[in-house]
Amino acid sequence: MLADLLQNTLDGLAAGASYAPVALGFALIFGVLRRANLSYGPAIMLGCYAAALAHGRFPGLGLGALAAIALLAAVLAGAYVERLCFAPHRRGSAVAAMVASFALWMQLEEIATLMLPRHVVAFPALYEGEPLAIAGLVLRVEALAAIATAAAVCALLAAILYRSRFGLAVRALVAAPLAAELSGIRPARVFFLVFALASAIGGTAGFLVAATDAQITPMMGLWLTFKGLLATMLGGLGSLPGAVAGALVLGLVEAHAQWFLGPQLRDFVVYLLLFSLLAAAPRWMRTPSPS
Amino acid sequence: MLELKGVTRHFGGVRAVDGLDLLVPEGCIFGLIGPNGSGKSTTVNLITGLFPLTAGTILFRGERLDDLPTHRRLQKGIARTFQNIRLFGRLTVWQNLWVAQNSPEDRARRSFFARWLGGRRRARDEIAHLLEFSGLAHKADEFAANLSFGEQRRLELARALAARPRLLLLDEPAAGMNSEEIGQLRERILALRARGITILLIEHVMELVMGVTDRIAVLNFGQKIAEGSPAEIQADPVVRKAYLGGGAT
Repeated sequence: MLADLLQNTLDGLAAGASYAPVALGFALIFGVLRRANLSYGPAIMLGCYAAALAHGRFPGLGLGALAAIALLAAVLAGAYVERLCFAPHRRGSAVAAMVASFALWMQLEEIATLMLPRHVVAFPALYEGEPLAIAGLVLRVEALAAIATAAAVCALLAAILYRSRFGLAVRALVAAPLAAELSGIRPARVFFLVFALASAIGGTAGFLVAATDAQITPMMGLWLTFKGLLATMLGGLGSLPGAVAGALVLGLVEAHAQWFLGPQLRDFVVYLLLFSLLAAAPRWMRTPSPS
Repeated sequence: MLELKGVTRHFGGVRAVDGLDLLVPEGCIFGLIGPNGSGKSTTVNLITGLFPLTAGTILFRGERLDDLPTHRRLQKGIARTFQNIRLFGRLTVWQNLWVAQNSPEDRARRSFFARWLGGRRRARDEIAHLLEFSGLAHKADEFAANLSFGEQRRLELARALAARPRLLLLDEPAAGMNSEEIGQLRERILALRARGITILLIEHVMELVMGVTDRIAVLNFGQKIAEGSPAEIQADPVVRKAYLGGGAT
């Protein structure tokens, strides 16, 4: 019993660690632009499809090269989404931008299906050996990679936002948009770069997920957007540390619910938790202040 | 240096600024006064390009500014401070100045490494100088939100200076200050002029306006009702009437 509990906790943390960068990218866009980007996951999915395509054509490519392709393609797709859905609605309606991003989601899924028509596409596996066994607990090497990546992404993003001039410009823009613009910070440019950064973070996360599963489907876009949105909402929309915490909670709740209640009730428990939190509206859920 | 010709801005049916002509000579401290709602802040917003002109034109150093976006006007050398303080609260004092350094010279250094090596050092020196000038050197690593009111006002001024402006628009910089602080502000404004920065000062506090400006224009209901030296303005019956009638300080 205790071993199960520990094992579930470990698995949950590993899953949460793979959600964390997904959530961070989503929360970054929401926090800076105050816009929900439904095409966030699909853009990352398209990046992974580009890597899968390259893998099919050139089987000799290593994981590093494929990761670079996935990342680059995800950034390009993310930039495309920004130009089409968000740049035109910068001062306009948030709902219009969201609906536009939904339309692009359909388009990106269609492109992926045209690139590789089979529903399930093989993806090179991250690791093909046996999982590690420590004191009776099973630890997958992929999980370690996910945790290390999540930590690295958090550290890098913190360094960018709190140390670099670009990051400070982002935070200045969020804190005082008017003053930032009149201090020479250009919102259109900053938003575009924020999108590119979020896509790069998401692309890293998406590549790891695809390589862990050793396969991808067009549904990956939906999955990524959902996990990102759920974790971000759990942690309080717009807060970056909240998004990471939300991702870990999401992973843990899923793992335990699946074990004790079964896979059917797993997502139900997550939504019940989200619903109760939204209904109770604790203080930390109401403070969307990413700066 | 700055010339407004027939500048007009309507908000719906309200004529916030109505056919304003203004000539601010280089090296001058020019005062813009008037009762509340007379169009002073709208004028500043029009000069910085926050919203477009309904009619008229604005020339800066002989160039038309009309269609330039705000960041281009800043690069041309126009910076401003705000009537209600708008700092980047959760950035430190030092960082507030760092993000605001956007002068054309900074941009001209195209090479990435040149920017990093030479640019960073120069940027640091300049920020150190600005901190010294505003009396904030000991607060460099403090969050802007944690500063006192007077310090925040000084930081706003320093942030505007970080862009190395030729023309500085000060929108009620003395609001909420005590007379000692106003005295320090006066010294700073004079020091800036001595460095060759032209200043357009919008202010209610007559103690400051009358003591520091070379020339004053008076607005009422979006129109210029008087212009002249501080002494002339103080003696002008039209101005007295507008102020007494408007009920403003």
